[in-house]
Amino acid sequence: MVDWRLFEPLFNWARKKSLWIVSFCTGCGGIEMPPLMTSRYDIERFGIIPDPSPRQYDLFLITGYVTPKTLKRIIITYEMAPDPKWVLAHGSCPLNGGVYWDSYNAIKHLDKYIPVDVFIAGCMPRPEAVLDGIHKLMEMIESGEADGWKRYRENYEWYRKNQDELLGEGWREKEARKWIPWLMDKRKEVKE
Amino acid sequence: MLEAFLKALLIILYATFVGFMFMGIIRKVTARIHRRIGPPIYQPIIDTIKFFSKKENITHGVIYDFGIIFALGATILALMFIPLGGVSILRAYGDLILITFLLEIPMLGIMFAAMSSGNPYAGIGAQRALLTLLAIQVPLGFAIVALAEYYGTFSTYEIVMAQQIHGWSIFHLPLLLAAIAYDIVLQAMFGKEPFDIMIAPGEISLGPMVEFGGKHMGILQIQHAIGLFAETLFFSNIFLGGAVVMTFASPILNTLATLVILLIKQLAVLLIAIFISTIFPRFTIDQAARFYWKWPTIIAALGAILASL
Repeated sequence: MVDWRLFEPLFNWARKKSLWIVSFCTGCGGIEMPPLMTSRYDIERFGIIPDPSPRQYDLFLITGYVTPKTLKRIIITYEMAPDPKWVLAHGSCPLNGGVYWDSYNAIKHLDKYIPVDVFIAGCMPRPEAVLDGIHKLMEMIESGEADGWKRYRENYEWYRKNQDELLGEGWREKEARKWIPWLMDKRKEVKE
Repeated sequence: MLEAFLKALLIILYATFVGFMFMGIIRKVTARIHRRIGPPIYQPIIDTIKFFSKKENITHGVIYDFGIIFALGATILALMFIPLGGVSILRAYGDLILITFLLEIPMLGIMFAAMSSGNPYAGIGAQRALLTLLAIQVPLGFAIVALAEYYGTFSTYEIVMAQQIHGWSIFHLPLLLAAIAYDIVLQAMFGKEPFDIMIAPGEISLGPMVEFGGKHMGILQIQHAIGLFAETLFFSNIFLGGAVVMTFASPILNTLATLVILLIKQLAVLLIAIFISTIFPRFTIDQAARFYWKWPTIIAALGAILASL
């Protein structure tokens, strides 16, 4: 096996300079994403482009409140990406629930379920604030501080326990099987 | 033997570098048209380094790995047959039909890999890509027939030499029609906007590319770079006169001048593709098939008939 440690500064520079964002717009923050990409606050200057595939992204923006139903998808999308990947939580809701502090159906601390590297406060944050957060994340990647993917790997039992506590044991299988009875009923109706 | 090997290596390195610059130019020019600043021009190289520096990799079996390598190998083989001024190594065998065929093989390799991943989006993307591939065959075939009929040869190098004497292909009316049809086909071969149905970002996730991450995507980036270089080079060879410079005394200066002239012609082809792609929205797949079987086919067939008269 080749020892790649010598190339690590080059790799860190490349990771910093080409963060691809997965287009996963949760909640109201989704409307703050297009201004970032378009001509006024052009984020492609820093090599950041939106990419619809969960296999290719490096940066996961959680833009707004997270319900348990969305959390399942967020966890699956997070686990699908290959390893150096970072999460940037954007707005007050992923931080501590925000205005949904007494809602039965909003996640209060996103950090308990997936590791977050940078939080941006605000409801909604200005695009400048998001740019500032991304700049901070770039600095952390350069120095090796941004290690959410490493934390997820090392403390997987803790994250898994929290996820199972909230969503119930075996939620992946249950979610996949949820539509099968409904589809079967539909097929029967068509036959009759 | 060794000399041919070194030459092949140099051609691959040059094509990869220039191809990455072309990808950067595509992103930069698109950004300028949108009134954005856009990424630095070397951005695709950074992306590729990042893809190769991923710490884990996903694979779905042997065909999934093999298809990617197959695509890259086919692109490199196509590049070897296209005359690059005086430097190409297999140009004596560079047959028009062979090169056109080899330029479409990479898509098949990507299809293999995408289909074996079992992702439904990749399946839909593969179907659309194969239909696009089928649709572009007809005008492409007529354009090639027009060229072969006009010059009386299939060899690309002989066509380049003939253009040195008779002037560029696009200045003859039958070949101008063939060039227009071929340029419309190039949009689909680049995967650019009116006919980027196979990739269709936003419509079907990323189509065939949806499942590739890490090193697979890195190899695909290199394949795309070499593919862009090879397709633009083929077009500028057969329609824009190629380049054989004999003015300087030293062969190195001649080669450099050849490469610069070819680069300018390739950039012209690329810029036309970018300008078309930034202002036209995407066709649906049935519209694209109908379009290719109608207008470019009529234009190219007219060219072929005029060439044979």
